[in-house]
Amino acid sequence: MSAEAVATSSAAAPATSRKNPAGIFLVVGIIGLAIGLGALVMGIQNNDSRLALSWLVGFTFWFSVLAGMLFLTQISYLFDAGWVVVVRRQMENCLAAFKWLWLLLIPVIALPLLMDNPGLVWRWMDLDAVVPGIHHTTVGNDVLYLHKAGLLNVPFLIGRLCIYALVTCGLAFLLRKNSFSSDLEINPKYYKNCRKISAVGIFLTAFTATFAVFDLLMSLSYHWFSTMYGVWFFALSMRLGIAATAVLCFHLSQQGRLKGLYNQSHAYFLGCLALAFTVFWAYISFSQYFLIYNANIPEETFWYNIRELNIDGSKSAWWYVSMGLIFGFFVIPFIALLWYPTKIKPWRFRTISCWIMFMGLIDIIFNVVPIQEPVDNILGFQVLPFLSPALLVDVAVVAGIGGICIWAALRSAAKQEPIPLHDPRVLESIHAAE
Amino acid sequence: MEHQPKALYCLLGTFTKTPEFFEAAGKVRDAGYKKWDTFTPFPVHGLDAQMGMKRSKVPMFTFCGGLFGFCLGTLITWYMNGWDYPLIVGGKPFWSPVFPFPVMYELTILNAAFGTLLGMFVMNMLPRHNHPLFNYPDFVRSNDDTFFIVIEKSDPKFNREATEAFLKEIGAEEIHAVEA
Repeated sequence: MSAEAVATSSAAAPATSRKNPAGIFLVVGIIGLAIGLGALVMGIQNNDSRLALSWLVGFTFWFSVLAGMLFLTQISYLFDAGWVVVVRRQMENCLAAFKWLWLLLIPVIALPLLMDNPGLVWRWMDLDAVVPGIHHTTVGNDVLYLHKAGLLNVPFLIGRLCIYALVTCGLAFLLRKNSFSSDLEINPKYYKNCRKISAVGIFLTAFTATFAVFDLLMSLSYHWFSTMYGVWFFALSMRLGIAATAVLCFHLSQQGRLKGLYNQSHAYFLGCLALAFTVFWAYISFSQYFLIYNANIPEETFWYNIRELNIDGSKSAWWYVSMGLIFGFFVIPFIALLWYPTKIKPWRFRTISCWIMFMGLIDIIFNVVPIQEPVDNILGFQVLPFLSPALLVDVAVVAGIGGICIWAALRSAAKQEPIPLHDPRVLESIHAAE
Repeated sequence: MEHQPKALYCLLGTFTKTPEFFEAAGKVRDAGYKKWDTFTPFPVHGLDAQMGMKRSKVPMFTFCGGLFGFCLGTLITWYMNGWDYPLIVGGKPFWSPVFPFPVMYELTILNAAFGTLLGMFVMNMLPRHNHPLFNYPDFVRSNDDTFFIVIEKSDPKFNREATEAFLKEIGAEEIHAVEA
């Protein structure tokens, strides 16, 4: 059964031998990272949190894309899905970027600590920092910090981040190794190995993604807590992972590597998943808001208040961002993806996928950037604004980290076959029917 | 009382091999027949496209049902809490889109499901209690090992001799005239 697959792949081979654009992405990545690093150092020196947060925004964006792909890869193994085989190889190539991604988290953690401004991004890292909104209290005297100090301390945080990196890179390594080995040797054991790895890995990935966003995003406002937060991130990561995969596969099918292999059915299935997770994201994001709104406890509601109100009670720019998320990140993709042609027509699906990735970035900015800074006003704090020149730094860091991730994925893709030639379900995938 | 078959209803061609049957379905489509159907013992992927069938209209019923449910949920929560009997609960506004959203959302799903069911019945012209094809005594073979292509007499292109010859030409193994 593999003979036909080999024939198909060798037909596609001349197209793959064209110039690999990895170098361009590496250059873009280095330029973007240089801008981001400059902004980060400037932020540390001038005590400007917003400039430093750009790095976290960029990291979170690509972390959610890659985590989504890691989830989807393992889910497809667990469900023993046939259609996905052609698409899965592209995600496996992207998973090569995980090790670079975690290395790129180091500057935003290490530089504020080394340059003597530890509380710049995560206020709880500086025990002498003033707590916003509570006059004359430092983090070290804040009872809500002391209660969480067992979790929120720098050595334990670094230890946890190392575990997250180990789990994601380890799973990526094992899944890639088994999948690539099956290209060289016809043996169903590699497929079975992947299924076993996924059975354990899906739990590890879920815990890793959940705790990573608790540590990196939720602890930005360490007074606040939400049990929905990990699920929100899961929904977001699936949306971004699926959107990125769809864009990638359409590109590869036009450029030649997947020409004739990636067909309308694959697009349709990815479109159905994109629709499902659009609804799931809305469900989770709304549920988080709804529970906090109904319970109306100040310890929780402040998180939404700082994303809605100015000091005088008028609506801030963040309120319009949140409305933009409801309509732009839910309603528009939902209505668009309900229509069958959106899922199968390449340019429509690609447009909506790019839109989902753009709005996903806005959602991450909405979750990361509005942190409180202590000032002398009636509230005792001010909130970082949405509109600021630092949005350009956000874009630079997203391009920077993205450039490195895409470079790593292309480097992996250049060495591997376009599809897993001897996967037991590869023919089923090539001939997938809706 | 026994049912008395009277007039011709259709011509039925049988096939036993999937590829031949699949090709034959494409030939019937290309010949321009409109009122015809296929019967298979198992799902054949791509057969709907081969028969030249357009996508089902049922999703429109689903969408309309969902939209109706959403509006209904909005209306009843607004009418009950915001208009007819305004009541402050938990310090929330009389009506806002937030607190009754579960009602709106559940009614959207419920009515979308009703719309789907209704749409399926309407588009399939159900319920119907009998079908003339059941007069073919070996109809059950289509659930076992035989593919059918059925061309109805009401098709504008139907002609007893020409259609019979056509079925033979595209590879039908047996041809039966079914009466109704």
